[in-house]
Amino acid sequence: MTDDYESRVSDLEARRKKNLAMGGADKVARQREKGKLTVRERIDLLFDAGTFIELGLLAQNRDGSDTAPADGVVTGHGDIDGRQVWVIAYDFTVMAGSMGAVGEQFKAARVRELALRYRKPIVWLLDSAGARIQEASGSTFAGTGWLFADQVYMSGVIPQVAAMLGPCAAGTAYIPGLADFVPMVKNTSSMALGGARLVKAATGEEVSDHDMGGSQVHCYESGVGDNEVESDEECIATVRRFLSYLPSSNAGTPPFAETGDPADRAVEGLDKIVPVNPRAAYDVRKVIKAVFDRDSWFEVKPTWARNIVVGFARAGGHSVGVVANQPMQKGGALDSDAADKAARFIRMCDAFNVPLVYLMDVPGFLVGSQVEKEGIIRHGAKMLYATSEATVPKVTVIMRKAYGAGYYVMCGKGYQPDTIVAWPFAEISVMGPEGAVNIIFNKQVEASDNPEATRAEMVAKIRESINPYLAAGWAMIDDVIDPAETRRVIVRGLEQARDKKVDRPWRKHGNIPV
Amino acid sequence: MTEVKAELVGNVWKVKTEPGAQVAEEDELLILESMKMEIPVTAPRAGKVREVRVKEGEVVKEGQVLVVLE
Repeated sequence: MTDDYESRVSDLEARRKKNLAMGGADKVARQREKGKLTVRERIDLLFDAGTFIELGLLAQNRDGSDTAPADGVVTGHGDIDGRQVWVIAYDFTVMAGSMGAVGEQFKAARVRELALRYRKPIVWLLDSAGARIQEASGSTFAGTGWLFADQVYMSGVIPQVAAMLGPCAAGTAYIPGLADFVPMVKNTSSMALGGARLVKAATGEEVSDHDMGGSQVHCYESGVGDNEVESDEECIATVRRFLSYLPSSNAGTPPFAETGDPADRAVEGLDKIVPVNPRAAYDVRKVIKAVFDRDSWFEVKPTWARNIVVGFARAGGHSVGVVANQPMQKGGALDSDAADKAARFIRMCDAFNVPLVYLMDVPGFLVGSQVEKEGIIRHGAKMLYATSEATVPKVTVIMRKAYGAGYYVMCGKGYQPDTIVAWPFAEISVMGPEGAVNIIFNKQVEASDNPEATRAEMVAKIRESINPYLAAGWAMIDDVIDPAETRRVIVRGLEQARDKKVDRPWRKHGNIPV
Repeated sequence: MTEVKAELVGNVWKVKTEPGAQVAEEDELLILESMKMEIPVTAPRAGKVREVRVKEGEVVKEGQVLVVLE
């Protein structure tokens, strides 16, 4: 063997080439058989062409052998729509993407350190069996676990996305647990605190990773996953889309995007979407699509707690977070999961300077013994907390019903909206007229010769008093508007509050009723 | 077989299907009344109605099976 300048350089090239080949042809073929892309294909899709800068390509297994190219995780940064974003991408073709000492303590840790130093978002591409048990050596476990603490320090400072593209077992499942956005690929992704084998050993339960923690569980039942997607390609496109609504950090403002939709456009077709009869349901997503910039609606958690709809849109090109009641589901009544979903979304928007628009049509919180057992008071309080706490510009549109505490959590007057308006058929009341009659006029109804007629009369009387003109007459709301004016009112309301600055008493932090 | 369950406590206000009927996904099967709202219960998928397990006026619990599709 010659040992000269050229051979040293070609040795470097060989080392690079080996690690770029990931776990080798067989493992890569198996990855593709499962319908998954390789880690490097995923990164190519994630970043603008040619912008990826890799750190730690030459990393190896802790034992110094060449058995774990890049130690099973690809790290670095690239651009998404021209903005720097950092990535930690597990490579399932290398020791099942398990987290080794080098990959975790040096590679991933470096990404977390630099992303936070530069105030840029982090995206995890998760496809990992979890901790590399082969490397576990007794009580040196005591020195692990920094990653979650790091995630907490980053929370609300830089956006964190955990894209679920494969398994994510055991402790690593807290990565999505702490992330701001968690898309999940149908069928191939899963997450669970204990993987199937561990569960069998610990409790005797026999269940597959997919049955226990696939998107059908987390995007529909648990609410840990946000958006279920069909493929790796769709997942990565969803990550890019999500980040397009957020600034790189809490020190910035969300990027403006010219949508070509005029800010003062009259909203057409609402008369065909929203029934004036307050008992009738409709799909509030149609209202959102009609009001905000064309093709700008990006729903978050669309399949969980569907009685509230949250997501991002653009109003005159500016990014906004939309919180809307959904009469199609549970009549739009709020329950524990809905409050939880809304509270978390509202806090994310507030942390990252995304203004909030509340579209209100709420018959109140669900009542009864079932919801009390779930702790609806504690969960509902999260939404009160989040809405009160939020200091970004807030615009409230009372479309139809604004009953009870539902009115409060949807940013009623007491929650300092910058603009609050109502549609002409809005009903603002401590409760619906039917319920009010039962309490206030119960005796009159019972004493009547024709109780039903008396009840109907009383309901009509109360209904009259809860129209928005009494509240507007007291100037408790800023205006009553033609629904067609909604878009213009939102855009101008946000513009009015653009320089908003709110100072509240110093505190270490509040105590949200988690 | 697919069981269509009540998402919340309420009254069965209107039954809009019957055993043997063919339904498409998203077709209204019945309407519940709860929280002073008419809440449509729709077919999660296309299929034939095998059973309607509730009557108009009946109070149903969360999770109670309302309709069975085959």
